Amino acid sequence: MTDKDFDLSRRSFIDRVLTATAGAGMATAAPWAVSAASAAAGAEPVKSNPVRLGVIGTGDRGRALIQNIAKSRNCTVVAICDSYAPNLVKAQQWAPTARRFADHRAMLDPRGIDAVVIATPLDTHAKICFDAFDAGLHVWCEKAMARTIADCGAMITRAKAAGKILQIGHQRMFHPTYLNALKRARAGEIGTLTQIRASWHRNNAWRRAVPADANDRQINWRLYRDRSAGLMTELATHQLQVGNWFLDAVPTRVIGSGSICFWKDGREVYDHVALIYEYSGGRKLIYTSLLNNARYGCEEQIQGSKGTIEPELGRIYQEVPAKVLALQRMHKDVARGHKRTVPIGGATWFPELPVTTPGESLGWGEYDETMLQFEGFGEAVRAGKALPGLLRQAYQASVASLLGEQAMDRNQAMTWPTNLVAI
Amino acid sequence: MGIAARVERFVAMGTRIELHVFGAGSEDAMVAARRAIEGVDDALTIHRPSPTTVLNDELLAGHGVVIDDPVLIDALVAIDEAHVLTLGLFDPAADRRFAGAGWGDLVFDRSTARIAATRPLALDFGGFGKGFALDRACAALRDAGVVCACLSAGESSIAVIGEHPLGGGWPFAIPDPSRTDAVLVEVELVDEALSISTTVGAGTQAPERAAMIRPTDGGIVTAARCTVAIDRSGGIAEAMSTALLVADAPRARRLLDAAPARRFLYDLSKAAARTDDTARMQAA
Repeated sequence: MTDKDFDLSRRSFIDRVLTATAGAGMATAAPWAVSAASAAAGAEPVKSNPVRLGVIGTGDRGRALIQNIAKSRNCTVVAICDSYAPNLVKAQQWAPTARRFADHRAMLDPRGIDAVVIATPLDTHAKICFDAFDAGLHVWCEKAMARTIADCGAMITRAKAAGKILQIGHQRMFHPTYLNALKRARAGEIGTLTQIRASWHRNNAWRRAVPADANDRQINWRLYRDRSAGLMTELATHQLQVGNWFLDAVPTRVIGSGSICFWKDGREVYDHVALIYEYSGGRKLIYTSLLNNARYGCEEQIQGSKGTIEPELGRIYQEVPAKVLALQRMHKDVARGHKRTVPIGGATWFPELPVTTPGESLGWGEYDETMLQFEGFGEAVRAGKALPGLLRQAYQASVASLLGEQAMDRNQAMTWPTNLVAI
Repeated sequence: MGIAARVERFVAMGTRIELHVFGAGSEDAMVAARRAIEGVDDALTIHRPSPTTVLNDELLAGHGVVIDDPVLIDALVAIDEAHVLTLGLFDPAADRRFAGAGWGDLVFDRSTARIAATRPLALDFGGFGKGFALDRACAALRDAGVVCACLSAGESSIAVIGEHPLGGGWPFAIPDPSRTDAVLVEVELVDEALSISTTVGAGTQAPERAAMIRPTDGGIVTAARCTVAIDRSGGIAEAMSTALLVADAPRARRLLDAAPARRFLYDLSKAAARTDDTARMQAA
């Protein structure tokens, strides 16, 4: 893609975000996106005095982040860090001039960088985050926030104490399709939202090949309980954020069941999870994730009394039954000037099979929402003021995912904690 | 140049609703008609809290009550008339739980909208609501300048405004619910409503469908019948087709003879008979 093409693509993307966030109530429903997109729309055409980032963790996700940061107008990667050398080598092609480190503590020098990007295994997030704040740096951290609810809160407390920005990666919060979906839901197009049915189903072991110079805990950290809550923190967090966001609340309690049901390969985390998050007024988020059937993939079915939104598919469906074929034929007849008897008088009742109408598009594309996250982060660092509302969403999503894990582990309903850190 | 056409499809009254408008009419005509139907649904449903469930609670408790919901009041007035027109055969108060209870046990004062029952009973507008809703939707469309439209509530209740877009009546063929390849009758409608009731066919298999009660003795109607009623009022058409379904022979004859080209009753128990056998049609 040429620079000119990219400029057009970037402009188009930001326009979509601005359009999606322009509706009534969106300034309070997605203030972070309004703020980030407004700043991005007025950004200088070329990078000048960018925010200097050090990326810690240059595995698959870290390298993807580096590529997105490169697209941003106000951030640049000046340092990269990974304790596993081959990851650093791979990352170099995307940040050839960046200084390289094997230990993040050696990188945390505020004279050389302004902020760190944390894309390491979950159990290391909190410690690295604390080190960065102690070094006087701002932090952008991948979701989920931390391995424990206590550490999630401590990250916020430490950020506050240090007077630094803490931003968590939740790309759906910047995605035009999600923003458009939220706008239309808030406008009442799908009626009263009472249930969200979310799933992330894959059909693979979720296990990476372990090179000869590494060990399984290092490479497949997602499968070890002390390092990760597995499906809950690595996948469900995104969708729980969407659930809280669309229901405009946090759960009151959660019940769930988890099992190692299919991949009995020594892993410690569940390969099947099924949970019900209860919200005020009897509303629910029903969540399932599994690793041996991909038929239903990744989706959040946002269900209201007048319709359904499926943001991953980018569709909105009205509660409209199938057409009466005889009346449809009558329409066509009239259009071509032909009058025929209309056969009618069928069943009032119709079988309740799944509706397969195509719905209406909410817009979909390969967007640069991760790039926009970083432009928003860059602006927040420059202004010394976090994007509004974002950290609360991220914190609540991480807590929800970890609370779900507790509900499954203890086989008991877990109520929403009352001792969370105030934001 | 073709005739402008608009369609609105949605779920209400426990079924699928279609509004087909041709030619003139203001932009908000469809919205007004949909709101009218949803308003009837909200007022008359007994499947979720509504003014009707509140009323039923009071009637079951033996209390009199003054109704303040205008749609429910209008419905009760229309039912009062339908009850008389159908020789008492259409009875939304007939209920197997309260054998012998019926509309006659109600005292309804139209001037004060006060209603009371002399014995515990509850109302179910199932055999009336769709036609009544179409009446109100037609009124809303006419108010919005619509002069040509066809409205369907689950295909068993139809209402038309004006003539067919290409002139003349709206032609409909009523299929035999017991034989998919056969037609019972063909009719033409102008500014009228049509209602079809049957004890046979897919519609009767709905899991939540209540049995058809004969108000004269509280028994369940089991005869294989299909009835068709056409009237200026959808509510009356609906009540009439229900009444014909439960009518004994003398009452059925009286109702059919009062409007021979507008009311039909088919005995479907003679499965081998030809559907175009006129002797079978209107046999009661």
